[in-house]
Amino acid sequence: MTRIACFVEKYNFTCSDEAEALETFRQTAQHMGHEFNFIFRSGLSEIQKYDAVFIRATTDPLYTAYVVSKTAWELGLRVVDDPISIRICANKIHQYRLFEKYGVPHIPTIFLSKEDFHHRQIVEIFEVFGKPVVIKAPYTSFSKYVEKASCETSFREVAKRFFRRSDYIVVQKFTPSRFDWRVGVLNGEVLYVCKYMMPKGKWKHGVKRRGKPSFVWGRTVTLKRDNAPQRLKEVALKACSIIGKGLYGVDIKEVNGDYVVVEVNDNPSIYKGQEDLRDKDIYEKIIKFLAE
Amino acid sequence: MSGASRLLVVSNIDLKTNTPITKPSEFLKSSFRDFILNINNDYRYMKTGYYVSLHAEILGNDVEPTTENAVDAYRVPILLTRAAKNGAPTMPFIATDSVKQIIAEFAFPVVVFAVNPFSFNGFQTAKNRTALYRAVKSLSMNYRYAVCVQPLRGEIVSCKSFFGESTSEDSSIKEIAKKVYQTFRLPVCKLYVQRFDGKVYLCGLQPLKIDEITPSDVGLISEMVSRKSGKGWFD
Repeated sequence: MTRIACFVEKYNFTCSDEAEALETFRQTAQHMGHEFNFIFRSGLSEIQKYDAVFIRATTDPLYTAYVVSKTAWELGLRVVDDPISIRICANKIHQYRLFEKYGVPHIPTIFLSKEDFHHRQIVEIFEVFGKPVVIKAPYTSFSKYVEKASCETSFREVAKRFFRRSDYIVVQKFTPSRFDWRVGVLNGEVLYVCKYMMPKGKWKHGVKRRGKPSFVWGRTVTLKRDNAPQRLKEVALKACSIIGKGLYGVDIKEVNGDYVVVEVNDNPSIYKGQEDLRDKDIYEKIIKFLAE
Repeated sequence: MSGASRLLVVSNIDLKTNTPITKPSEFLKSSFRDFILNINNDYRYMKTGYYVSLHAEILGNDVEPTTENAVDAYRVPILLTRAAKNGAPTMPFIATDSVKQIIAEFAFPVVVFAVNPFSFNGFQTAKNRTALYRAVKSLSMNYRYAVCVQPLRGEIVSCKSFFGESTSEDSSIKEIAKKVYQTFRLPVCKLYVQRFDGKVYLCGLQPLKIDEITPSDVGLISEMVSRKSGKGWFD
């Protein structure tokens, strides 16, 4: 029997689909003969009582989830997401530099430093990528801190905001599509495949409502992993292979009949009735991986 | 130190040494293949000091400090866990956002450090429940993040550490600075320790502000760099 701690925050239970998925994880683990307990920030000192830690709260090297991951790692526990994956996936500069180094096909990207943030550089970026361009903060997640800029004024406004936390930001060619592929990968194997559709008239999967704090999300269309295009799965596995052996969600766009990686996310969303719709065994596979 | 043949010093501090120094902005545009000694007053995640180490790692170089150590050293719970594992004396601590849990665990007074993406400087002490609520509310950013709490039994002392050489005269503090350097290899940092009952315990680590580095500190860093590179040092 393996004792598994699942690190969550209160917000993980606000969406019913996510709460149901977490409950399914618990039931699956218990059904397989393991102990599975949710731990919150107040339970961090209990990590050492467990054999494995499964993180479902948002990960970032500056968040509590990284402290949990690193502490578990130092104690020699099995941990998903491991600290190395968190460091690479949470910083898009780190990730795209690795994509460049290892030849992973990805969206054309330029890194912009605070020092190079001037008129000539912006003009050059527009010349290379055309208008608009996509500006990403390195710490982007859940479609946040990714914005479009069509002129120097909006470019400056967005970049200035993103430079507050990072001395480098990412600028990418705008590549519109009706959906992004999402390939779930665990330990070098494809776990699930779905399409994250863009909401009508929008260019990204999650869009903030004008004047409101809430987000509008596009539909999720799930495929059986065996029926997904082979080349898509190969590209996803290649992207994950340079990061690690954990659990990842790879976002991929189809461009001119080929596949380019948008980004690899650690801690991918798993919602009941969405990612698990066609391949019901994903819970079992993840628990088995944690218990190995 | 490494299998690389040469040492390249990348520094945002103007050092007085015969060793050639490369500026971070220059290094970040280069593809040097050497052992990289990254000297910076600030290695915080996503700041230039961090990106210098990241660039060196992506190029396949050995670098001091590594990005892993740069991230870990500034997160107090990880700092204390890893330093204690390496033999540095530390106080018991908890990472939490629950005041009730802190009160159940430790008697007053306590010292509270932030574990959030925005606060890197300072800490707060709390002598009673009201002060603790105030400190936790502020450093956890209204309970959005955790804080790291340790019992406060003596006085908190800060000191600068350059390559594990502390600016303090206290031999126990010097010993802690050495242990922290052996664990995290941060060439420049500020250490917080607690002096209590004739002993010294590691409490926290933070970046130095550039204006906190005095001319004599520059001399000390320069001397260390010269020693490491085997080149001359001038004052």
